[in-house]
Amino acid sequence: MSSLNASLASALSGLIAEQGALAATTNNVANVNTPGYSREHPVLATSDPVVIDPLTFGTGVTLQSIESIRDPILEGQIQQQTQAQGQFSTLTSALQQTQVNFTSSAGDIGTAISNFFDSINQLSTNPSDLSLRQGVLTAAGNVATSFNTTANNLTQQRTSLDLSVVQQVGQINQFTQQIAQLNTQVANLQNAGENAGTFIDQRTQAIDQLSSLVDVSVIPSDNTLTLITANGAPLVIGQQSFQLQTQTNSSGLHDVYSQGKDITTQITSGQLGGTLQARDTQISGIQAQLDTLAAGLANAVNGVQVAGFDLNGKAGTNLFNAPSASGVGAAASLAVAITDPSLLAASSDGTAGSNGNAEAMYALNQQPVINGQSPTDYYSGIVFNVGNEAANAAAEQSASSFILQQLNDQRAAVSGVSLDEEAANLVQYQDAYSASAKVISTISSMMQTIIDMKSS
Amino acid sequence: MRVNPNPYSDILAALAQTQQQINSDEQQIASGMSVNLPSDNPAAAADLVQNADQSSQADEFRRSIGSIQGEMQNADSTLNSVITSLQQAISLGVEGANGTVNSADRAAIITQIQGIQSQLLSLANLSYQGNYVFSGTKTQTTPYVVDPNSPSGVTYEGNTGVNSVTLGSHFTLQTNLPGSQLFSSSGTDMFQSIQDLITSLQSGTGIDAAVTEVSNASSSIDAQRVFYGNALNQLTAQQTYLSTETTQLAQQQNTVGGADLTAVISNLTTAQTSVQATLEAVGQTAHTNLFEYLK
Repeated sequence: MSSLNASLASALSGLIAEQGALAATTNNVANVNTPGYSREHPVLATSDPVVIDPLTFGTGVTLQSIESIRDPILEGQIQQQTQAQGQFSTLTSALQQTQVNFTSSAGDIGTAISNFFDSINQLSTNPSDLSLRQGVLTAAGNVATSFNTTANNLTQQRTSLDLSVVQQVGQINQFTQQIAQLNTQVANLQNAGENAGTFIDQRTQAIDQLSSLVDVSVIPSDNTLTLITANGAPLVIGQQSFQLQTQTNSSGLHDVYSQGKDITTQITSGQLGGTLQARDTQISGIQAQLDTLAAGLANAVNGVQVAGFDLNGKAGTNLFNAPSASGVGAAASLAVAITDPSLLAASSDGTAGSNGNAEAMYALNQQPVINGQSPTDYYSGIVFNVGNEAANAAAEQSASSFILQQLNDQRAAVSGVSLDEEAANLVQYQDAYSASAKVISTISSMMQTIIDMKSS
Repeated sequence: MRVNPNPYSDILAALAQTQQQINSDEQQIASGMSVNLPSDNPAAAADLVQNADQSSQADEFRRSIGSIQGEMQNADSTLNSVITSLQQAISLGVEGANGTVNSADRAAIITQIQGIQSQLLSLANLSYQGNYVFSGTKTQTTPYVVDPNSPSGVTYEGNTGVNSVTLGSHFTLQTNLPGSQLFSSSGTDMFQSIQDLITSLQSGTGIDAAVTEVSNASSSIDAQRVFYGNALNQLTAQQTYLSTETTQLAQQQNTVGGADLTAVISNLTTAQTSVQATLEAVGQTAHTNLFEYLK
């Protein structure tokens, strides 16, 4: 037979459990705007019954645990997509900056080359005219300046990207350290059988941020997890983090090292991947094309120039400083080698009035002197490449943003705090609490009845 | 099914995207171009580089034609004066050949022809903007100098060089004829014929033959003058062609990279409406939740 005291205990368990549930709801409401927070859910269960022959009586309710609601697979996908998003947003902003150098303007390389050949055509109509000769020298100077400016801008951009590499590696190291510490806290709590939800949320948030920086793979194990880069360099193993290092290479840029091994070319994703890709592939590729154009143009013009005669009937000398044999750095160092306009070799027969060599020089603008293409064709090819790379990166970025948005929506649908839901829960827990309290007061009055019975 | 309880980041992302569309539309309207950065349309950006180069070339060809036209018109009208002078010499020669002319009159005729002789020398030494027009490519050298030891009375100091100038993507024009070809070709040497006419009038023999010689020289120059006439016609035609080309290139530029303003403005209006609608919807619904209804 059950007793009033047993009922009192059951009612009390209800009060305690609803209080706990209320605490979970309160915490959810408080964290409604906390990034990375996963809503908590009280897990209520019936207490073990007692059997008093022949009857079985319930003994109330137990708050078993407070569980964080999350979907680890979804979180893994978010981390993957965050890496792509980090990579392409970095790449996009770098290439947006690069392509400004190749927009049509008064000083862009294409216009400078057109104007240079135009000035030669003008000289061809009156080859002994000193002001027209000066016009050619000025136009040649503008060609050199436009190449120099563009090449220097690209170099500066690579230098600032290099600075980003160092900063990003520093940030990665901070996050891996933090994650290793959180691993310790999660493991300690879970080993003690406690709910580590808050620390797991923080760790998930940190991994998201790390994912935006570098391509990271998460390998969960009991109570902890391991982080490695896509190519297998360790970042965090359990409670220990592994720092990445940077080291200056022969071209003055920083390479990324893990455990003494150069992993620069193996980092393909995240902001660091995007930064390295812009610095070492995209922009350096454009620099190489500019060098090819500058060296090809200088060599072709010089070749014609030395085959002709200047205003004084002497054999022509280089108009542009001769580029290095490999052509590397030609765009940055392109310069006009002569200052005296009479030294322009317009003449093909040594007389002042001959324009044969000026015509030969003018003809270069239609000749395949740069890797089988005319100077303007080659330059328009560069513009296409720059635009295409920037457009592709932007398209990838916008696609990954969209997917990330969707995934975050899905995550919020699973883990996000809904105030409506919390309000409903609040009412529900409050009602249950009041009911339990009412039961207690009822039992209390029943007890009183018995006490009164005895004393009367 | 549970949905995302906090859709603000979605709303912000949507607003940001629409704002980007608005910025791009406004830039297109401001510049009149749909291709403002290479990434807007890489192939069109590359085409526009080519287009700008061609259009710059067309402008330059027209400037060059302008420079050449002046010199060639000068050469042409000078040749006209040369022919007129030679015709005068022929008339004077015919007059001098008449048996009735007395020696005083003949001396006067000779003086007049000598005047024509120095006039022809000055015409053949035509200089335009610091360059001698008829000295081949030795444009800084006076082509004809008086030389008493020469049978024709002058020596040609120029050369036989000619210049050609590119004035179109498939058009190159020869711009000069050397004096040696124009005035002092063997057999039709203008200076020799005038010298012979003077000598024959002085001696009174072979005047008719000398007049024929002058007449041949004149015909030869007249025939060669066609070169300048043709060239000037070609320059005019090329100028017309280049004007058309410039117009076509501008049209092409607009087709490749111009903004379709009607479409852009329509897009802009749609985007602005969409922003407004989103904001209003958010404003009306965003602040309600169940807590507000609990007492």
